[in-house]
Amino acid sequence: MTTLKSSNFRLVGERVPRHDAWAKAKGEQLYSADWALPGMLHGKVLRSKYPAAILRAIDTSRAKALPGVRAVLTAADVPHNRDVTKFGQMRDVGAGFEGLYKVLAEVGGKIRFKGEAIALVAADSEELAERACALIEVDYEPQEGVFDPREAILDNAYLVSSEDASNVIMRTRVEQGDLEQAWEKCHLIVENDYYTSPHEHAYLETESGSGWPDENGGITLRVGTQVLEHYRTIAKVLGLPHTKLRNMSVPMGGGFGGKEDITVETYLALLVKATGKPVKMVWSREESIEAHSKRHPMYLHYKTGVDRDGFILAQEVSIVMDGGGHTYLTPWVQMYATINGSGCYNIANLRCESVSAFTNNTFSSANRGFGVPQVNFCYERQMDCIARRLGISPYELRRKNLLRNGDPLATGFVPLGHVALDQLLQQTWDKLNQTPKPERLPDGRKVGRGIACGMMGYGRLCFLHDISRIGIRIELDGSVTLRAGVPDLGGGQSSVLAQIVAEELGLGIEDVRPLIMDTHMTPLCGTTTATRQLYMSGNACLAAVQPLKERLARKAAAIIRDNQWPQNPATGYIWRPDIEHILGHLVFADKKIYYGPDPGKNVDFVAVVAHVSNEGGELFSEGQFNAPFTEVPDLNNIKGQILPDMTYTCHGVEVAVDEATGDYQVLRIVAAIDCGKAVNRNSVEGQLEGGTAYNLGWLREDLAWEQGITRANSFATYLIPTAADVPDIETIIVESRGGLGPYGAKGVGEPSDNSIAPAIVNAIADATGLEFNTPLIKPETLYLALQNERN
Amino acid sequence: MGSRILLSDFAYLAPTTLAEALQILAEKQAVKILAGGTDLLLRMKLGTISHVDYVMDIKHIKELNYACLCDEKQCGSTANGAFCIGPTATLNQIAKNGDLSRLFPAQREAILAMAATSVRNRGTMAGNICNASPVADSAIPAICYGAALTLQSRRGKRIVALEDFFRGPGETELEKDEMLVNIALPVPPADSGAAFIKKSRVKPDIAKISLGVFIERDGTLIKRCRIAMGSVAPLPLYVQKISEGLAGLEMNEQLIAKTAQMVKAALKPISDLRTNQEYRRAISSVLVEEGLRLAWRNAGGELK
Ligand SMILES: Cc1cc2nc3c(=O)[nH]c(=O)nc-3n(C[C@H](O)[C@H](O)[C@H](O)COP(=O)(O)OP(=O)(O)OC[C@H]3O[C@@H](n4cnc5c(N)ncnc54)[C@H](O)[C@@H]3O)c2cc1C
Repeated sequence: MTTLKSSNFRLVGERVPRHDAWAKAKGEQLYSADWALPGMLHGKVLRSKYPAAILRAIDTSRAKALPGVRAVLTAADVPHNRDVTKFGQMRDVGAGFEGLYKVLAEVGGKIRFKGEAIALVAADSEELAERACALIEVDYEPQEGVFDPREAILDNAYLVSSEDASNVIMRTRVEQGDLEQAWEKCHLIVENDYYTSPHEHAYLETESGSGWPDENGGITLRVGTQVLEHYRTIAKVLGLPHTKLRNMSVPMGGGFGGKEDITVETYLALLVKATGKPVKMVWSREESIEAHSKRHPMYLHYKTGVDRDGFILAQEVSIVMDGGGHTYLTPWVQMYATINGSGCYNIANLRCESVSAFTNNTFSSANRGFGVPQVNFCYERQMDCIARRLGISPYELRRKNLLRNGDPLATGFVPLGHVALDQLLQQTWDKLNQTPKPERLPDGRKVGRGIACGMMGYGRLCFLHDISRIGIRIELDGSVTLRAGVPDLGGGQSSVLAQIVAEELGLGIEDVRPLIMDTHMTPLCGTTTATRQLYMSGNACLAAVQPLKERLARKAAAIIRDNQWPQNPATGYIWRPDIEHILGHLVFADKKIYYGPDPGKNVDFVAVVAHVSNEGGELFSEGQFNAPFTEVPDLNNIKGQILPDMTYTCHGVEVAVDEATGDYQVLRIVAAIDCGKAVNRNSVEGQLEGGTAYNLGWLREDLAWEQGITRANSFATYLIPTAADVPDIETIIVESRGGLGPYGAKGVGEPSDNSIAPAIVNAIADATGLEFNTPLIKPETLYLALQNERN
Repeated sequence: MGSRILLSDFAYLAPTTLAEALQILAEKQAVKILAGGTDLLLRMKLGTISHVDYVMDIKHIKELNYACLCDEKQCGSTANGAFCIGPTATLNQIAKNGDLSRLFPAQREAILAMAATSVRNRGTMAGNICNASPVADSAIPAICYGAALTLQSRRGKRIVALEDFFRGPGETELEKDEMLVNIALPVPPADSGAAFIKKSRVKPDIAKISLGVFIERDGTLIKRCRIAMGSVAPLPLYVQKISEGLAGLEMNEQLIAKTAQMVKAALKPISDLRTNQEYRRAISSVLVEEGLRLAWRNAGGELK
């Protein structure tokens, strides 16, 4: 369980510059694409130009004949072209969750989305590799395809895959109480259909990396990934033992969920194996946008019933999810959406049913929020619709219904951590309404304010039996090497671990050097997904440092006792406490170990290390943390503990709407989170601000999908908000100390993007009276709606 | 799309005098002029440009880099003189000029509304104009201010009004041996004012629609008016007839509303990824109304 420390922190809670901040600011830290090796080849992927087709034949002879081309591979050249999708978990969880992972499209089978990989090329230069791709002749038989999951689940729908008899990926359900009875007691029932749009991660670096052959038949990869543990699948694809496929990541480039799935890894490894040479692969931005996962588009129906006072009596939710062409993480995302469907409210009678389906769109998978922002958008819009219909404030309606400590979640489980929703709501509402809302701005624009709450888990699904492991070695000069297989693509996951170790040992963060992200040289920390690294690896750090600390403390206590107690030259010691007493009062700080009651008695950290070393003591330690374990739930009726705990958020927003053009501007954002304990204040604020900006972009970003074609496939057409489009974000950080992470911390990475989108749409509704049922609101949409309103 | 930046091979030429440059244009085939390259390289990457054998970089020609007031008649200046812009003057260099900011505030605003700092540090106004995109932000107020372009080849020089320079998307008056060597903005008379308005998706972005207005005032009457619009036609559009029809009329809200409706009715915009035809048309009238009011006030006029 949680280690709650009552003493004062020195580093924890401070604004600590990350250990790698300077290297990144000065450009010393390389991106995946920056690495080069002597004799390196360049890899390219030939991708399908149709979203739906049967792959009739591939002729690679002309490509192979091109001088400088070193390998052209198709599915026939891949030792094991098929595997089930695994996501770094240590436990097999069965067919309900594990879909097919195909490395390359197979002749005779179906192409499932535009951009699906068909062949791989390695050549002496990027140009040659590209030219070789153009020389590969592919015989496609284009098919009609299906692009709407609501059509895909119908009986006579076009079948997306050639391996499955139905387009349905998974169905699941959560239920509590008696809905039919509850509807009869309702004073008001609000029913709405919603649609949430796909969303692109838009990380700084596209999928990139390099690979090279090692001595003794091994292959090493260095790619930007959130999941090092894919090395097992990569090894299997190549027919290598797990020991011979080493994978490293690069601490740059960003992931946001898009680098949870295998991207360049298998391609690189196959090309390295085929050529015996180092190979580099860098996806172009267009390729990246078309061929990596998107946030699941969802079609949702919400029906919510309340009594006269606004207490929610019943809520029924049904969800149809667009999984796109391949399974990848769809079942897990669906699980998150389904158990969170009814929202962060105490509702006795509820049902949430969901179905996910294949379509010929770009596949869907993890995207910051993992299925939760979609349902959060809907239930928070429902709340505002109800409040308006009842004539009570959206604040009041939420306050009445919010989950509080001791209330069960939809699955009947009572969260282990603290529930701070009412506090967050109160503080956000007060800050937003510090000054009265003006009806209009001096320039005539209409002003609106909106609020929304959110809840999202941190830590992986408990039935995955998640673990993290950390290694620590104290060097003889008193500095510390921290070994952690923690993928940190810029989120600061590794820095916070260094901070925890430094805090515990009384050192500075600069004294701890993290060596990270190497499957075979650093202990595996598990995936950088599910907002889990601080919780899991932070606790693993504490587990690893405790025995070391104990060892050093025992030595320090002995030194202090033997050398620092006053002696009478004639009679010896006047009085000396026993070792256990001193041990109980030692403090690690300022590179010293102090006897707390009398700090004059102390010994240098490095001196203690020297003593332990001289006596042959162990100065290294590995520690493991295990998350709560549960069994795989019944998908027809999910019950019990599904996630370790929840993080809660609230966003308040002020917008100005130009009724003449439909243009709207977000003027103010108040963002609140209970992070349990802000281990690094800079990082918590950074995540909260970054998350807010991330889903603020969801309101305007449009991939312009048309029949499986991504029309907005570059940053000239797919526009993310710029610094000039995001107002200053006023953050509220609550520290309840009620989380399951180190020092009572909770995870913040994904929850931080949760409640912003509905808050903005609620503010637009407040300004205009228009109730939008989708987060994608362009000025064009708003203008048209205002026009219709007028007529 | 390939990750390779440029799709075809070409030779790079970097003349240091105008004469040399004009000679290259006269003697070689398939030459493309490179100023900032912020349009050219993109089009070469996308392959939306005809075959290129030579890229001629003009940034090393010192005599072409200027942005200042001048009174030489040959650049097309009027009685008041003109502000002259050389073809390699960068957008930021122009926008930072004090005389330009004072005399042509709408021009400055349009330039600062383009892209972000890094692109403006490279891109030029001449490039923006010669690229001849219907969105060209810097061309919109320049048309309103009555800009005159000097086109030069070894055969000689000619002066063309900016609004007559465009022929269609990417197509201009330039002959294949000619280059743009000067942009002259005639210094406006007293009692005049201008406005520039742009609507885009995010702040530093290509316009969905843009508008420029220039008004010379005679008491409560409009003496002369020029309206131009971006992203509503195949070229930066000078709304000639409607603008000219305003001369001599009394400025008031009715006139503003009527003019806005006339412009809206005359436009035939298209739909693209930035926005749709209906929206462009619908808000064109909002822009015209706003622009007329703003320019009138900037000209010292009052509106009841
Ligand atoms: C990220 C980004 C954002 C942008 N945003 C905007 C925007 O908001 N608004 C906007 O209008 N534009 C925008 N642009 C387009 C571009 O930056 C501008 O059009 C810029 O002014 C072009 O100038 P340049 O010097 O780079 O032109 P170049 O690319 O060098 O040239 C453009 C064209 O003009 C020709 N040319 C250049 N100089 C001459 C000359 N002296 N004589 C004859 N022909 C010549 C070239 O051969 C080429 O065909 C943007 C571009 C980028 C990359």
